[in-house]
Amino acid sequence: MSPKLLTLGFADQLTSVEVDVPAGEPPPWDGVSSLEVVGQPVPRIDGHLKVSGQAVYTFDVRLPGMLWAAVLRCPLPCARIKSISLGRAEKAPGVKAAMLLAQRGDRIVFAGQDIAAVAAERPELARDALAAIEVEYEALPFVVDTRSAAKPGAPMVHEAAVRTRKTEGDEPSAATAAGSEGNVRKMPDSRRGDASKALKKAAFVHEASYSTQVQTHSALETHGIVVRWDAKDKLTAWCSTQGIFSVRDELAEIFTLPVANIRVITDFIGGGFGAKFGASAPGTRLGFIAAELARKAGAPVKLMCTRHEEHVCTGNRPDSYQDVRIGGDAAGRLVAVHVRSIGTAGIGTGAGIGRNAFSVYTKIPHVLVEASDVFTNAGPGTAMRAPGHPQGAFAIELAIDELARTMKADSLRLRIAHDEHPVRKWQFQQGAERFGWTEARAKSAAARGKATRLRTGVGVAASIWGDFGRGGAAQVTVTIGRDATVEVKNGVQDIGTGIGTVIAQVAAEVLSRPVESITVRIGRSEHGPSVGSGGSTTTSSVTPAVRNAVEQAKTQLLALAGELFGVAPREVVWGPDGTASGGGKSLTFAALCKKLPGEAIVTTATRAKTFGHHPMSFMGQPMQQIAGVQFAEVEVDTWTGLVRATRVLAMHDCGRVMNELTCRSQINGGIILGTSYALLEERVLDRDFGRMLNANLDFYKIAGAKDVPEIEVVLTDVYVGNNSTGAVGIGEPSTIPTAAAIACAVYDALGVPVRSLPITPAKILAALGRVPGAGVPT
Amino acid sequence: MTSPTLTRRGLLRGAGTASVLASCAKPNADDASNAPAVSDATAPAEIGPGAVSVAFNLNGKPATVQVEPRVTLLDALRIDLGVTGPKLVCDRGACGACTVLVDGRPRNACMMLAHDVAGANVTTIEGLGAGDSPSALQAAFVRHDALQCGFCTSGMLTSCAALLQRIGPNGAKLTAQTVREAISGNLCRCGTYPHVVAAVLEVAGATPLSKAAVTP
Ligand code: FES
Ligand code: FES
Repeated sequence: MSPKLLTLGFADQLTSVEVDVPAGEPPPWDGVSSLEVVGQPVPRIDGHLKVSGQAVYTFDVRLPGMLWAAVLRCPLPCARIKSISLGRAEKAPGVKAAMLLAQRGDRIVFAGQDIAAVAAERPELARDALAAIEVEYEALPFVVDTRSAAKPGAPMVHEAAVRTRKTEGDEPSAATAAGSEGNVRKMPDSRRGDASKALKKAAFVHEASYSTQVQTHSALETHGIVVRWDAKDKLTAWCSTQGIFSVRDELAEIFTLPVANIRVITDFIGGGFGAKFGASAPGTRLGFIAAELARKAGAPVKLMCTRHEEHVCTGNRPDSYQDVRIGGDAAGRLVAVHVRSIGTAGIGTGAGIGRNAFSVYTKIPHVLVEASDVFTNAGPGTAMRAPGHPQGAFAIELAIDELARTMKADSLRLRIAHDEHPVRKWQFQQGAERFGWTEARAKSAAARGKATRLRTGVGVAASIWGDFGRGGAAQVTVTIGRDATVEVKNGVQDIGTGIGTVIAQVAAEVLSRPVESITVRIGRSEHGPSVGSGGSTTTSSVTPAVRNAVEQAKTQLLALAGELFGVAPREVVWGPDGTASGGGKSLTFAALCKKLPGEAIVTTATRAKTFGHHPMSFMGQPMQQIAGVQFAEVEVDTWTGLVRATRVLAMHDCGRVMNELTCRSQINGGIILGTSYALLEERVLDRDFGRMLNANLDFYKIAGAKDVPEIEVVLTDVYVGNNSTGAVGIGEPSTIPTAAAIACAVYDALGVPVRSLPITPAKILAALGRVPGAGVPT
Repeated sequence: MTSPTLTRRGLLRGAGTASVLASCAKPNADDASNAPAVSDATAPAEIGPGAVSVAFNLNGKPATVQVEPRVTLLDALRIDLGVTGPKLVCDRGACGACTVLVDGRPRNACMMLAHDVAGANVTTIEGLGAGDSPSALQAAFVRHDALQCGFCTSGMLTSCAALLQRIGPNGAKLTAQTVREAISGNLCRCGTYPHVVAAVLEVAGATPLSKAAVTP
């Protein structure tokens, strides 16, 4: 460790901060580093492959002799298997292997669970063969509705204790469950002060229930894997995954193979959003099935989920029912918040509500957040882009607005007054001006007063995330050849953010070489250890490792140049085009590389553990708290209930922006996903039959081009001093506040809240009391 | 009902398009399940259930496949012809990821049978320009980052290419609203829509004649 003075902060709030930089780290890029390539809107280096159909996804993999697998799934939400046999499936046309995945006597706990599988020469033959499998079920009592399942006496989903399934997509935490009662399993509380006592004394108290729906990830490429055995104890797997190394480890464990005998390839992946960690999906053992069928058939097997399977057994964002109490005092301060939430991750765990209620408005002295998982007979939930956070943000932000109205307080000022994050406060203030907040609020109030048919409304909400970038996880190898080629290798997958492009930019920056001259090899386990794309950690874990490895290679080049020029390495000047000069001599990059004594320089490096978190730490932990704020505008037709999000202003911090273009794409994606969650998406389960009614993309609505608001993104460069490039994540933070801001905007437009997502026309009409015979729902 | 076209929905129900229409009027038309797959007079003779060969033009070259009548155009392209640009996402005409041009018009290849395109010109993303010689539209997609994971991109781009072809010399008048209309059948989970619209508008403005925009 050596203390270094860095220029950290943001906008006009830059200061000198002493940071303990671990030995061997290059001086971190900070607020005064002037970079040429990093941060620029460089188009993706593999874009040409994606626009021409040449990018090969797992779904596109074709191997000689490859078979197609299909899985038979339980049609009932809870059942005992009375009898089961492959029947004529094994002999069906084109079938090369078949296997049972459940046995007589097994208790099946959701509609969609694995029962049996076949591999055949064509996908339609595999599906045909499933019909020949004979299974007799005894239907058992079940429950799919969260609130019914939480009641005493509800049918029990699990007969034995359940282990929490953790993935790299979960927010890092030490959460352990406190045992269960019936189907309800309590998670650890978040507590400061005494919320109950403070609420008793509060001058103003607002109390209401808020609910959010189950959302499915709906990545366009479904979960899938292709497995080829290369020898008895060696295999190659092409997998649609956001965690190449978790796929490898899972297969190694299932088949007791050394990890070195498993190659995993993910050249391209058609979206993940948190559901694709591992060879299997949360609710189906895809990796095992494909590999076992391949072993039995002696041929490679491809197993891709159908869209129906993707909805029912590959994960989802759990729902939530949140009882919120929030209190303010006579002086206009917020004094206490109490949130008690239940939610279902189906047969799985993890229906928390994130950090928003507890950790954004930290000047509220008394806060208690309690959350419980409720088991239901439905496919397991799993991490989905900022697990828990959009749910939590929705309830707390709308509750603040509702209390603000009672307190006759300005809801934006209330937020700023209770937030301690300097970046977020700045974003609130700058954003309000840019968005025209005051004028817009006045306009919607006037329209409400006149009870006009068409209304607009605006709302604002906050985002919180941590810089979870990992030290030591990604090992990046750089090879600079005698022919002046520069190759950067790491086994990271590109989930769609363009990590390969950013890798090239960082290498180009250090060497002062053109981006096009850098060859990037990613997407394969043999390229060296890396991180899963979860927790918004990819860029912050990989780019510092790239910089460190390239800097090491450059140090060797400088030493070589010094030797050739007869000067000390530190007297060699590295020119803006990569030309080295010193002692009156100079060599172009190519000429210098030609002088390499060996074939090439090869260096490998990782990034250090985070060493800074200026200006604000996350939850008292030594890591940066990532700030963001979104303003939303909606338009509502109060006669029909039709609602549209018309405008979103997104103010986001992602440390040092590495590539403005791809960064904006990610934020657009977060906002559009959030808009879709706010207004359109909902998994519908039939309570009587326990099956999903809209397991497709025509009745499970995701936002299309016409549902998208006008988006303005303002990127705040924040120099954190956390790692050698200063990158932090943005994928998840950008989707957290959208639905909350939209819900607040709808409240502003109508004057009455819609406390349940998705905000549909029916709910709007009900909230306005325009549904004859129906009361106002709460 | 004179179209000789086999449709996937009709075929899967064991009834031709004509009897599907009839079944709307007569709820009990399920009894017609023994009816031949194609029941109108102008249709070709009954084919299948085994594999039958079908020939069409694929990206400017003749192609022939031997497939069962139930095989979709998309499966024939992807599995039998190895053309994997168009993707299968929803398998029911809801997402546009499988969009191809059939005689110049954008169609969902998951909703057509391979035998529907006998003799037709089929263009996939692969036929709109390759990596080393991209069309103006493809280059604009890359420049504007109109793609993230890229899984929707083939279909999205094909729909946009069809739009540019459709508007012909009136590119300069193209509005964002029209582009959104044109891609309203193309779902993207990564949220590329704003950049797609920007890319198409730029190409339409820069090259008034759409031909240059969609062919390399
Ligand atoms: S796969 Fe054809 S429209 Fe979705
Ligand atoms: S780019 Fe990923 S679905 Fe469109």
